[in-house]
Amino acid sequence: MVSTALAYVSRPLAGLTPERRRALGLLALGLGLLVFPLVYDDDATIDSIANAMSYATLALGLNVVVGFAGLLDLGYAAFFAIGAYYYGILSSFQVMPLWSEAWAPLAFLGLVEKMNQGGPDLVHFTLSFWLALPTAALVSAAFGVCFGAPTLRLRGDYLAIVTLGFGEIVPIVARNMDGVTNGAAGLNGIQAPRLFGQSFGVDSVPYYYVGLGLVALLIFVSVRLRDSRVGRAWMAIREDETAANAMGVNPVRFKLLAFAIGAAFAGMTGVFFVAKLQTATPEMFNFNVSSMLLVMVVLGGMGSVWGVVVGAVLLQLMQTWFLPQLTGWLHDLGEAVGSPALLRIDLVQWTQLFFGLILIGMMLYRRNGLIPATRKTPPLTFAAQHAEVTRGGFLNLDRIPRWEPGEGALDIRGVSVRFGGLVALDDIDISVPAGGVVAVIGPNGSGKSTLFNVITGLVPAYSGSITFRGQELVGLPAHQVLARGVARTFQNIRLFPNLTVLENVMVGRHARLRSGAVASVLHTPGNRAEEQAAQTSVLDLIAMFGNRLAPRVGQVVSGLSYANRRRVEIARALASRPHILLLDEPTAGMNPAETLELAEQIKSLHEMGLTILIIEHKLDVVTALADTVVVLDHGVKIAEGRPEEVRRNEQVLTAYLGRAARAAVMEADRVA
Amino acid sequence: MLSRRNAIQTAAILAAAAATGSRRALAADKVIKVGVNLSFTGADAENAARIGNGAVIAFEEANAAKAVPRYTFQLVKLDDATATAGQYDPAQAATNARTMVSDKAYVAALGPQMSGAGKAMAPILSQGNLAIITPASTNPDLTDPKFAQQYRPAGKAIYFRTVATDAYQGPNMANYMADTLKVKSVFVLDDSGAYGVGIADSFQAQAEKRGVKVLGRDRLDPKAADYAPILTKIKSLGPQGLYYGGVSQAGVKLAKQAYEIIPDVIKAGGDGMQTVDLLKGAGFPAVEGWYATVASPHVIEDPIAAKFSDRYFARFKQHPDDYTITCYTGAQVIIEAVKRVAASGKPVTRDAVRDAIQGVKLPTSMLGPIEFDEYGDLRNKIISVFQIRKNTEQPLDDPTAQYKYVGVAPVA
Amino acid sequence: MTSADLLLQQVINGLSLGAMYSLLALGFTLVYGIAELINFAHFNVFMVGAMVAMLTLQSFGLVGQETVLTGLPLIGTLGAAFAVAMLVCGGIGVGIERLLLRPLRGVAGPAPMITTIGVSYVLFNVVLLALGSDAKNFPNPLPPIAWRIGGAVLRLREVLIWIIALALMVGLTYFVQRTRMGKAMRATAQDPEAARMMGVEVDRVVMTTFFLSSALAGACGMIFGLYYNLAKVDIGFAAGLRAFTAAVLGGIGNVPGAMLGGVVIGLIEAVSGQTVGTAWADVIIFGLLVLVLIVRPAGLMGRLAPNKS
Repeated sequence: MVSTALAYVSRPLAGLTPERRRALGLLALGLGLLVFPLVYDDDATIDSIANAMSYATLALGLNVVVGFAGLLDLGYAAFFAIGAYYYGILSSFQVMPLWSEAWAPLAFLGLVEKMNQGGPDLVHFTLSFWLALPTAALVSAAFGVCFGAPTLRLRGDYLAIVTLGFGEIVPIVARNMDGVTNGAAGLNGIQAPRLFGQSFGVDSVPYYYVGLGLVALLIFVSVRLRDSRVGRAWMAIREDETAANAMGVNPVRFKLLAFAIGAAFAGMTGVFFVAKLQTATPEMFNFNVSSMLLVMVVLGGMGSVWGVVVGAVLLQLMQTWFLPQLTGWLHDLGEAVGSPALLRIDLVQWTQLFFGLILIGMMLYRRNGLIPATRKTPPLTFAAQHAEVTRGGFLNLDRIPRWEPGEGALDIRGVSVRFGGLVALDDIDISVPAGGVVAVIGPNGSGKSTLFNVITGLVPAYSGSITFRGQELVGLPAHQVLARGVARTFQNIRLFPNLTVLENVMVGRHARLRSGAVASVLHTPGNRAEEQAAQTSVLDLIAMFGNRLAPRVGQVVSGLSYANRRRVEIARALASRPHILLLDEPTAGMNPAETLELAEQIKSLHEMGLTILIIEHKLDVVTALADTVVVLDHGVKIAEGRPEEVRRNEQVLTAYLGRAARAAVMEADRVA
Repeated sequence: MLSRRNAIQTAAILAAAAATGSRRALAADKVIKVGVNLSFTGADAENAARIGNGAVIAFEEANAAKAVPRYTFQLVKLDDATATAGQYDPAQAATNARTMVSDKAYVAALGPQMSGAGKAMAPILSQGNLAIITPASTNPDLTDPKFAQQYRPAGKAIYFRTVATDAYQGPNMANYMADTLKVKSVFVLDDSGAYGVGIADSFQAQAEKRGVKVLGRDRLDPKAADYAPILTKIKSLGPQGLYYGGVSQAGVKLAKQAYEIIPDVIKAGGDGMQTVDLLKGAGFPAVEGWYATVASPHVIEDPIAAKFSDRYFARFKQHPDDYTITCYTGAQVIIEAVKRVAASGKPVTRDAVRDAIQGVKLPTSMLGPIEFDEYGDLRNKIISVFQIRKNTEQPLDDPTAQYKYVGVAPVA
Repeated sequence: MTSADLLLQQVINGLSLGAMYSLLALGFTLVYGIAELINFAHFNVFMVGAMVAMLTLQSFGLVGQETVLTGLPLIGTLGAAFAVAMLVCGGIGVGIERLLLRPLRGVAGPAPMITTIGVSYVLFNVVLLALGSDAKNFPNPLPPIAWRIGGAVLRLREVLIWIIALALMVGLTYFVQRTRMGKAMRATAQDPEAARMMGVEVDRVVMTTFFLSSALAGACGMIFGLYYNLAKVDIGFAAGLRAFTAAVLGGIGNVPGAMLGGVVIGLIEAVSGQTVGTAWADVIIFGLLVLVLIVRPAGLMGRLAPNKS
């Protein structure tokens, strides 16, 4: 009977699309949570859920920092403390300066009130809870920025230790500044929130609803951010900071943004938490809290919004319900079988041990968490996999920016690069004319990739100048070089491995889009139009490679073939609408047919007016594409000229092939 | 979550142990619940166990002796520590308060250990009119009439203490040091905790009032191991006395290093320094000579105390310490209150029990006569002073043997 | 006490602290140099070292500070305790590397670091559950010999700690600079790929590094116990954090830098306790850490680990 009932219920569900089913499930969950306190009248349970909600909001915030942007923050509770003390101090009787008329405007706004406890008039802060929530977000975010600005330039693992230090400092400061925080004794008299003149008091139900609203809000904000330009930039930084930078993402700026938004989440939670408890002590924000939040994020899945919520709820359930329950059962069992050893076990004492084991186990066996952030994409159909290769090609010409007539292209003058005592490039002059194709060849270690790195701002130039369209590139950070219209690929392919093809290419578009965090969360019309347009044109770009990539846009790139990853990287570079494209061995690892196909596609790009600088080993590709060939050896330019000239240059042959081979080639030429 | 049910489960063993009478008697008796809210896990777990055992033994004895006819006490342990906090968690303490308030079977409670937890619990308990007796939280704010609006919004006192607040131990010891020990200059340390800071602050204020020169004040990080730099500084200042407000976590390390660096300085602390931990962790000779105070009168050769110590040892294989006794006494107060309500023929409700606790007079507890003022504090504010003097005939880690009673600290 | 005596005494205090921080910092620096990993497990490997040393000494029948030994029995007991603590900790280090970190080698992102945090929790809680959280009276058989230098006091145990720490550091430096394995370690630190191609067994190098680093933590645990006559389950965090700061201060990955950094942090702690107050010591130390990282990310002695991008 149960099964027929189930079948009856599930039949209409089966007809729905997965999205619909998800939406329906969410709706059911939301409704369930909304009516829960009305049907289940147990104050303690509701309160416990409200506690779990505040940990869920903290985990959501930490997820922005650790999961999205990949910054290991071990002092996250510091921002929780800042939000908590901000509201605690401004809504209690702790700090009461002398009243003067200067406070009158604030009193008018209801932020303070005049008070007399015998003696002179004093100021009593009466910041409303509802005003405190958003302002605490701002205050915490400001602290996040102040603290992050100097430290976010550091390598990721240094950041971990610095944040750990920060997390230690904040409670110490709270403890030692007795006058402001009441020190270790804890704040007294924090106002309960009021709504429509009614105080929340100590009833747990209103807090439950505020907590629920906060969780819903932060999930909403997290999801919106994740699927936006900002979210893509974060994930690009997380996956490969250098590549993200070369694709136009300003890493420091976006890391700071992640830090600030994470701090804002924590600040809001802090307000909620102390309003509910009506006290705050420094011990509430120690290192343990930060690391437990990390466990929640790791358990649920770093970067997975729903995952971290589940992680927070699970850990909360485990410590407040499951382990005590299990202990109870063991004790019952112990009593039944008369085993005093079983009676002595108290698994609650083991909670932290289990948490440690969870961390280790998850890292070893399920690094992406219980609900991984990267969605499983359906495998390609047989037809799609075995479809005949279509060539594709560039159809839509407006994607290539037009050169103004007479505009200067890339001009490299006297550039040297040194690593310590090693001279990687020595006084190089290369000029790439507008609309031209220049190939750079040379043996391994001759400085070709260093040349690309110095042009794109990834390594500093020791001397010389690089101008592009009349603007100096030397000294610009990589993302600004890209913004000037210089895009590149990497010799060893630097895609963002856990992002999809579409997301990878969309990161390439980053510099050409404007939407910030606020617009992304609100989905302003401008933001929606921009995303829509970007997506259309990026899909169009991907279509250039025929059916090589088009059926795979939703797949994670780490699963693609080598040749397809090369194609994605080229598409990603093109997505930034470059004036010049720097290709670093684009056909490496491709078979002859694929090489030919790609060479044709590069040629068509060139024909449409794109300027190209290419590093290539396959001389037939070079000959087919390039107008000019530059030869580097040991960081020095040893030859430059048309491909067939360079082929005969003695120095080049020596450098490339060694003396014996040179002799053989010369001999062959003579015979011919 | 669902902590009520699991709390009952974890308490099953306690209840079973408590019901030393026949099982049928248990079934026939009316069961009344008493919550004991302490930090049973995390950093303070061992202290919590020792304190909680004071309640366990009290209710076991009461049930066995049928102290209240037709009623059986069921002690329910509620843990206010969480793994997330790694120690007491005010949020969990608040949840526990709600657990007790929403179950009418609870007529009274014991706990908490920490004032931070107490501050989160008091407003909720006040609304539910459920009396709680703390054996250990000493922050004066909780019973201060200035904060009545915050901590007892419903009006009546619900937060009782069988322990003196920081407002007495520190100042009285300052008087003792000035009058009896003739100390002219002191250095004051605390351990960053609410208790330590509170007691050190109140000591310092009174010492200054008495003209004892306070040469400096600093705060120890209880997690740090090395206090040599600050002790060296103290040595260079050359005070006659050192007062340490705090518990044994930092106290053990302080005692060890102070013995080496400032052996000749008179060292004193509050009841946080009268613990087994200090005797075991620091040991002789480092602890020799330390003064500690206890917030109760000391009856010399008190047979009740000696017997209790023996019973306790027989039951738990460990020595009771100061807070075990405050907790035991708190339990006695609850038992007495329930007995009065039951004897009067009224139903044993929490309202009745609260009012009874307010009016309880225990003339002969181990803490001396017990009676509460209108705010919930002990009326009797006698502070006894002890000094550690090695007694090789007794176990070296037994506080009742190694702490020698030396007198009463004069009221400030 | 004159102010010169006071300064001298604080320098003695600071050097003793510094010796311990240096030994711990060496462990961080070695592992970071080879594996580019902040090993959070190190915090509690050190704690385990103190506990193991304590249990070893107790197994010789020593209790508290009452039993004083001299001559050969003293050297024998101390030597045995050092050896056991170092071997057990070294073994734990190798186990962590072999079982938990090797499968994660080459995994980008914070996964290995998170694993070490997990290990740290496990070590802490296992000791907590097994031995309890109370402060243990660490047996100390050293005779209470002390010398007076003006108003300052120099005790035998301080001298002993300096000598042992120095000997361990000299030994380590010799090992890294002179032996075959040491050369392999340096090569791996420079460029693991190239080292592998040149025939260095990188797996063995990494394992040796973990062994050495953890054994040093074990020795440090023993020294800690001898110095404070105390062992407690929570000693790892504060000491470990300061030691890590020392490693960064000296230039992480740099062996002499770690030693220098440890001494500097020890001295700062002593001096700030004297002047500002111990309440603010942590704030000063971490403030300094942030400052160093901003102004001179390579640390005092330089050499940032090569940025393998």
